[in-house]
Amino acid sequence: MTGSMQRALRRETHSPRSALSVLVAIAVAAAAVYCLLEFTLVALGQPSWLVHPMDAGAWLAALPGPYSPVLLGAAGVVLALLGLILLGNGLLPGRRARHVVADPRVAIVVDDEVIASALARCARVAAGVTREQVMVVVSARLVQVNVRPTSGIRLSEAAIQAAVEAELADMALDPAPAVTVKLAESGVVGV
Amino acid sequence: MNGTPRGLNRFLLALFGLVLLAAGTGLVVLATVPSAAQWWQGYAGAQLDWLRDYANRSRLLMSNESWVWIAGAVLSLLVVIAMISWIANQGKGRAATLLDRPGDADLDGAAGAVRLSCAVAEQALKSALLERTDLLGVSVTSYDFARQTAVRVRVLPRQGVAPHKIAAEIAELVEALDELLGLEVPVLLSIGTGARSRFTKAERVR
Repeated sequence: MTGSMQRALRRETHSPRSALSVLVAIAVAAAAVYCLLEFTLVALGQPSWLVHPMDAGAWLAALPGPYSPVLLGAAGVVLALLGLILLGNGLLPGRRARHVVADPRVAIVVDDEVIASALARCARVAAGVTREQVMVVVSARLVQVNVRPTSGIRLSEAAIQAAVEAELADMALDPAPAVTVKLAESGVVGV
Repeated sequence: MNGTPRGLNRFLLALFGLVLLAAGTGLVVLATVPSAAQWWQGYAGAQLDWLRDYANRSRLLMSNESWVWIAGAVLSLLVVIAMISWIANQGKGRAATLLDRPGDADLDGAAGAVRLSCAVAEQALKSALLERTDLLGVSVTSYDFARQTAVRVRVLPRQGVAPHKIAAEIAELVEALDELLGLEVPVLLSIGTGARSRFTKAERVR
């Protein structure tokens, strides 16, 4: 595996932030188009469309003005929250729910949902229950297998764990998650 | 895998985030602390008076308006252009040519060039993958990545299909493609789920 493919794998497992970027770019561009219109009208000596730039500046300089502190404070909190969301998107790693499969020739990434459905099938076969009785949650470092046994039939937790772990070992995921199996207290009747 | 400028995305998002955060915090402080409000009105009022005075002094002969407004318009235009080019850079980087090798009269006996379209690799992989019944969706695209052409394969398997088995079989296909083309194209395989694989039955017999 070459260095460039390692980079490709890193890009595939982390979010590109392009959707939010496009949204922010459209918002900023719309605001800039409006400013462009008002500035151009003033520069040409025409009456302004909504507000003269100087009046907007005067309104800004007169804050808090006649507004109630509660209203201004709420607006400020909303602005600050929007800023925090953008800042978080810019600084946090943004891992996608994907795992890397080691292979000498091809760089492979697998969505966690695919891993979960494969493990669910494996656990279902090992436990001898129906599809609806198994739920698997896959996160970066943990696989959680929840099984609801059929009422009256005892299930072996160790056997399910072994089967799921063997399937996971075959997948050779990176990072390798740990497996926990949980049998529900109550069983299901009529399956 | 595509040429989305991720570093730029993150930098600009963080920048706009900081600006909004500062504006919001400032507004809250203005609303709650009277002394801060007084200071702000004094400070911003002085700046505004200076700007109004300067705009009056710098009126142009042609339009009898200050050049400050023209400068503001130009600045806004630059911002609009920057934002549009930022959007246009998302998801770029599709490639069309897989291989472009100039021939040599001394080496090959005749001068010329060999040019392979990306469609060669794409169609070969796609037609091989579409025959499989355990895959509900296949898409193959080529990108310019790290100064070479790379192929990205996205497959959507049925529910419950073991991903490592699909991966191993597709790796075999890729090796066959290597032999067919005579060169090793970097391949990225992405195994995922779509709406169709989520809502179709896992298997016919249960």
